[in-house]
Amino acid sequence: MKRSLTRLVLVALVVGASASTGVTAPATADRPQPVTPRAVAAGDAWSRTQSMERELVAADGTTTAISDPATGKPWQVTVTADHTRNLRGRERVGITWSGAQPSGGRANDPFGPGGMNQEYPVVVLQCRGTGDAVKPETCWTSSFGQRSQVSRSASDATWTEDLHALAADTAKVTSAVGDVPGADKCPNVDRTGLLYTRLVPFVSAKGQVFPACDAKTMPPEAASDAALPANEIAAYTDGDGKGSVQFEVRTDVENESLGCNKQVACSIVVIPIVGISCEAGSTAVEKDLTVVERSCRRTGQFAPGSSNITNVGADQAVSPALWWAQSNWRNRFVIPVTFGDPPDTCDIVDSRAPTGFYGSELLAQAALQWAPAYCLNKKRFKFQHNQMPDQAGFSLMASGGGAAALVSSEYEAEGDPVGYAPVALTGFGIGYIIDRPGNAGEYTNLRLNARLLAKLLTQSYTGSSFGAAHPGMEQNPWAITKDPEFAALNPGLTDEALEAGATLLSLSNSSDVIRQVTAYVASDKAATDFVKGKADPWGMRVNPSYRKIKLPREEWPLLDDFVPKAGTECKAKNPSTYFNDLAAPVSTLRKIAEALLDAWPNVQTRCDTDLSVTPPIYKLGRTERQHYGDRFMLGIVSLGDAQRYGLRTAGLETRAGRYVAPSTETMSAAVKVAQPKGRRGPFEMDMAELRKAGDAYPGTMVVYAAARLQNLAAEDAAKVAQFIRIATTEGQHAGSGNGQLPGGFVPISDAGATRPLFDRAQAVARAIEKQKVPAAPAEAGPATVNPGTAAAAPVGDPAAAAPAAGPAGAPEAVTMPPTQAVSSQWSGRLLPVLLLLGLVFAVVSAVSRVVLFRSRR
Amino acid sequence: MTTLEESPVVAGEQTVPRDGGSRFRRRPPQRRAPRPPRVEGPPSRTETASAVLSTSATMVALVTLWMALQMLVLGAVSQERSQSLLYDEFRSQVAAATASVGPVTEPGAPVALLQVPRLGLQQVVVEGTASGDLLAGPGHLRNTVLPGQAGASVVFGRAATYGSPFRDLDQLEPGDRIEVTVAQGKVAFTVTSVRRSGDPLPQPLAAGKARLTLVSAEGHGRLRAIAPGDALYVDAEASSAFPAPSGLPPTVPDSEKPMGTDAGVLPLLALDLALLLALTLGVIAARQRWSLVHVWVVATPLAIALAWVTTDAVMRLLPNLT
Repeated sequence: MKRSLTRLVLVALVVGASASTGVTAPATADRPQPVTPRAVAAGDAWSRTQSMERELVAADGTTTAISDPATGKPWQVTVTADHTRNLRGRERVGITWSGAQPSGGRANDPFGPGGMNQEYPVVVLQCRGTGDAVKPETCWTSSFGQRSQVSRSASDATWTEDLHALAADTAKVTSAVGDVPGADKCPNVDRTGLLYTRLVPFVSAKGQVFPACDAKTMPPEAASDAALPANEIAAYTDGDGKGSVQFEVRTDVENESLGCNKQVACSIVVIPIVGISCEAGSTAVEKDLTVVERSCRRTGQFAPGSSNITNVGADQAVSPALWWAQSNWRNRFVIPVTFGDPPDTCDIVDSRAPTGFYGSELLAQAALQWAPAYCLNKKRFKFQHNQMPDQAGFSLMASGGGAAALVSSEYEAEGDPVGYAPVALTGFGIGYIIDRPGNAGEYTNLRLNARLLAKLLTQSYTGSSFGAAHPGMEQNPWAITKDPEFAALNPGLTDEALEAGATLLSLSNSSDVIRQVTAYVASDKAATDFVKGKADPWGMRVNPSYRKIKLPREEWPLLDDFVPKAGTECKAKNPSTYFNDLAAPVSTLRKIAEALLDAWPNVQTRCDTDLSVTPPIYKLGRTERQHYGDRFMLGIVSLGDAQRYGLRTAGLETRAGRYVAPSTETMSAAVKVAQPKGRRGPFEMDMAELRKAGDAYPGTMVVYAAARLQNLAAEDAAKVAQFIRIATTEGQHAGSGNGQLPGGFVPISDAGATRPLFDRAQAVARAIEKQKVPAAPAEAGPATVNPGTAAAAPVGDPAAAAPAAGPAGAPEAVTMPPTQAVSSQWSGRLLPVLLLLGLVFAVVSAVSRVVLFRSRR
Repeated sequence: MTTLEESPVVAGEQTVPRDGGSRFRRRPPQRRAPRPPRVEGPPSRTETASAVLSTSATMVALVTLWMALQMLVLGAVSQERSQSLLYDEFRSQVAAATASVGPVTEPGAPVALLQVPRLGLQQVVVEGTASGDLLAGPGHLRNTVLPGQAGASVVFGRAATYGSPFRDLDQLEPGDRIEVTVAQGKVAFTVTSVRRSGDPLPQPLAAGKARLTLVSAEGHGRLRAIAPGDALYVDAEASSAFPAPSGLPPTVPDSEKPMGTDAGVLPLLALDLALLLALTLGVIAARQRWSLVHVWVVATPLAIALAWVTTDAVMRLLPNLT
């Protein structure tokens, strides 16, 4: 107890200090601190400044300009984008701006239709085309209400008063492209002359025009509850005129109608809303202005910085709904972006059979960029990264099923010796999306320690009153936000208990990532004590189902089988293991990253009842997406994914009170601790050493290409050696192009801290290429293959079976692997030993009997 | 509770291996006769020690020799009987066209008749290669096609115990015939190779052909007949084959791989041992009321039956190719 108190004091002291030393992620930039600097190639970042103002023309022709009150001049808005080249599907681009008019009436959910009732926001959209080719009709919105104004009354027809609009566009019923469709297509357009309509159709990449007068006349991707949530946003500008947003771009894989890809250029369009500039009024007396004229001159009903929680209507003249009106559109910033090769490039352009490298998902983002550098170059082989649990990948490689495995730790090689060549330096992170209460923006500086991770992993937070009924966990908080330990580390966050706050979204299958996470937990005394059953200083105890669970481990099991009794009728009719529903681990790190990206926890505790039928139908499922402003979610992510999707990662405690976030420096510091094993083994990073070093990131992991040093076909051996050499040279140049190293990875070079990794990689590449002849046949052959399958396997191999199918008796030149040694000591010695023992004891028995008999006599 | 109470048990247990009840009738007088001179005092420490030694040595000798006896001799009888029943069953199934053609067959059911003229071997092959399945005869590896069907088929057989059907497998030479009868008909295989550890695997099989791999074990040195420690493979090929159904299980549990052992039998073994213990206690109790002859008559069949069942269970814990 006393120790923990001093710990807390230390924590409080060091929190302040560490922030200034730069060990923790700085809270200034909204974009998560990149693990590695992104490519600084010319033209990757983008920045521009424009001036803009709103003009209201009076009846006498005099103009009143609404401009920056601080300077009395037009707003000088500067927009920057942090990277714009070779984007991938769902990658997030950091957009920041300054000098814009402060927004008012902040919406709960600024994405898509949810953001329309705000005032003076900054609209960010993705549009097809660049420069002047960008028109409102090529910009994507996920609902028709964001682009068209259909059958509006005069008070909501301010676009017809637009000073900058063409005369033809201020008529009552107009369309931005072509004519307004007939009543058969757009029945809801009023044609009686009473109401106003302005259609902004969407033109798809194939040229199809969607009139956008109702939900039916929108592209298929804009259907409600579409697969992906809206990416366009009406973002908020703070009181100082600054604002930022992480804008998610979509390729034609995600949005075919928009159709952005490597060939079709696209842009991110940023439109700071200044309001509609109104043309000359009909009279000088303000009271006598017409309804539409008056509403055009409105300047908003929400104070700057206020919220619009109930989503009441805003003044249309200054709302984002009219982003396409000339007054707003002419202030647009068009940020040209380019897209990288799609993930299936190699499948399409290269018909050669791929050589599979099996294993770690940590390498996924790097492999995505590396693969085209192989398949587009006919001098190289066709590289393919097949993601699977590290152990499975290694077994496949060891048994001859794969040329090489991609793993992050050492595995026992039962057959041939295996060499480990470091090819990437990356790691895991605890990704999070947390909003500060009261619209104060995202929390950027999360700190976690091993005990908090242990509490999350062991499902010791109860989630809700259902979980609180779990025996032995009565004193436990419902969620991490209620945990005093968490609140002390991360002050100023909400103390509401969400079910998503009771869990850390993790992997369901075996992985070296889980091994590293649990090794981190196991290296901390307070955390291991907690797992062993000791209460924390606030009385929280470990979930009894996980008490004394062995750490570290490769796979995190679901052990709790508690089924709550109380609850709604739906829950009573569908009893389920509550804690498993809370945790609901998934099979890939990418799914975790996407859940964080969408702020959609994978908590499966929702129970819906359909009362329309008797008996009612019940459905258990995933909870809803979290609202902007109330998001709280944690998950284990790979640093590569975190970088691509713009996810923040937490600082982890190393020495008491010191929190280290992933960065080039902290991961290089971790490499310095690593000790090489053997001549061709992996590097061992002892977690205790890592933590002692203080400034080393504990989630650092090295990805190795592991391949057999004997009995690997010469062709495969050459490919693996080639891969290692290219990956450690060309593949380590940071950048977004083909063959380059994406963000989230620290480049391995032949200088500095990563030199041992580089040297080891070259040495192992040589050894793999050489393939020394095995010393004794008995050692050869994988030990796990049983002769049945080994004999059966070649049958399915077309290359091997083809020559044999020819004329009978034709000699086949297939070199077959040797028969594996199967033997059993038991089988070989049991019977002789049994007989020998029997005889010996029979003799002993007889002799002792005779002795006894004699002595009795 | 020690020596005094144990002595009747010792006497009762010792009688089991000895043949001829007539000696027991004469024994009590023999024991009593020399006693009177030394009737005072408990037996000396040396006497107790040697009595305990003698008794335990006898017990160990009994258990080990019984196991050896059953593995080598009695097991063969049991296997012979199983084969006889299996042959009848398989014959009627083939006649009625109800014999299994795969891909999934109940373990223990007959699936093929294997004949090796050179060895004079005729065995009914059962489904499954776990140690327990192989007590009845050679077993078919469940993730391979049935013998004679297109593809590779693998059959395991014991080398030393329980009839040791595959004891002479190493005498086969390339060119020898192996005839297999399955539900679909009869196929004649020709042995292509006899493989041991380190020999290259057979060449890839041409489409539409059948391969049969017989797997057993062989020993080395003087005790080779009863010490089969290393796996031995005999490959045979047939140029024509029956079509194989799809849907084979991708893998089999470790207990069905070569030299696999089946730990799933442990509960049964515990039950058997508990019954043996109960029998022992029963004999002690009975010995205080009934004469030795009665106890002998009642307990012997029970003891033999239990010992037999227990040894069968122990066999399943041992490698399947033994």
